[in-house]
Amino acid sequence: MIDESKSNRKKTKVFLTIVQKFESMNIEIETLLLLAIAGVAALSSLAVLLTRDNFYASMFMSATLVMVAGIYALFNLQPVFVLIVFIFVGAIGIVTIALAATYRFAPERQISVLWSLPVIITAFILGYSVHISNLASLEKIQFALQKFITPEYLLLILFLTALIILLMLSVLKMGIEKEEGRS
Amino acid sequence: MQGIELSIIYATSFAILLMGYFTAISSKDLIRLLIALELMFGAVFMSLIPLFSALSNAAFGIAIITIFTSSGELLVLIAAIVTMDRERKNIYTSSVTIGGDKL
Repeated sequence: MIDESKSNRKKTKVFLTIVQKFESMNIEIETLLLLAIAGVAALSSLAVLLTRDNFYASMFMSATLVMVAGIYALFNLQPVFVLIVFIFVGAIGIVTIALAATYRFAPERQISVLWSLPVIITAFILGYSVHISNLASLEKIQFALQKFITPEYLLLILFLTALIILLMLSVLKMGIEKEEGRS
Repeated sequence: MQGIELSIIYATSFAILLMGYFTAISSKDLIRLLIALELMFGAVFMSLIPLFSALSNAAFGIAIITIFTSSGELLVLIAAIVTMDRERKNIYTSSVTIGGDKL
């Protein structure tokens, strides 16, 4: 019992020391959360590269995109979060997962694991150079969807929807022509 | 948005983009290529976040254009995968003989 209480005290002390260190480093909780989400996103993208099964690769890809959307939510940009999660992950991502599950086989990897070292070095150099370049602090993000809904942007969305429908129609036509050619 | 947050966003975006490139060049089948493209678009979305701080409306417009065009592109690639499977009975990138450089 005495040992348990001692170890609990030690754990509490260690936790408090970590909290105090972060406080002394002047890092806000939002920054830590951003770091955690970004870290998970980078790791799941690495998992896409390393896994041999296409099904798991597509699952990790969806996780990466959800994390990217999560960063948007962290900055209070809910409309973009909804767009990415619904369209990109919900529609395209699910179709990709379904395709990967249909054509499920484990191809050999072409890439050498030795490439990971220059990748880590390059990412570190880039991150460090961006960090020390004294980037001017930008203003706090203030986005309101109501301000965005203007006739110009609505017209743009209408044109883009028409583009998607045209693309899909041409793909359908291509498929129908091939079916007719066979028969 | 602080400088450290900006650096985290840019470094992660770069890392995801790099992973996408490596996945694309190491892919032997078209499904892996599709996954790599989606990863690269994810990196593009991430690098857009700082723009919301300066020009929020324009950034949202760019995000919508990117989502629509990338979705269209990926849907066409999905259709191409299905068509190729019908024609060639496989989805290996080595079966694609039209376009690109021969190494």
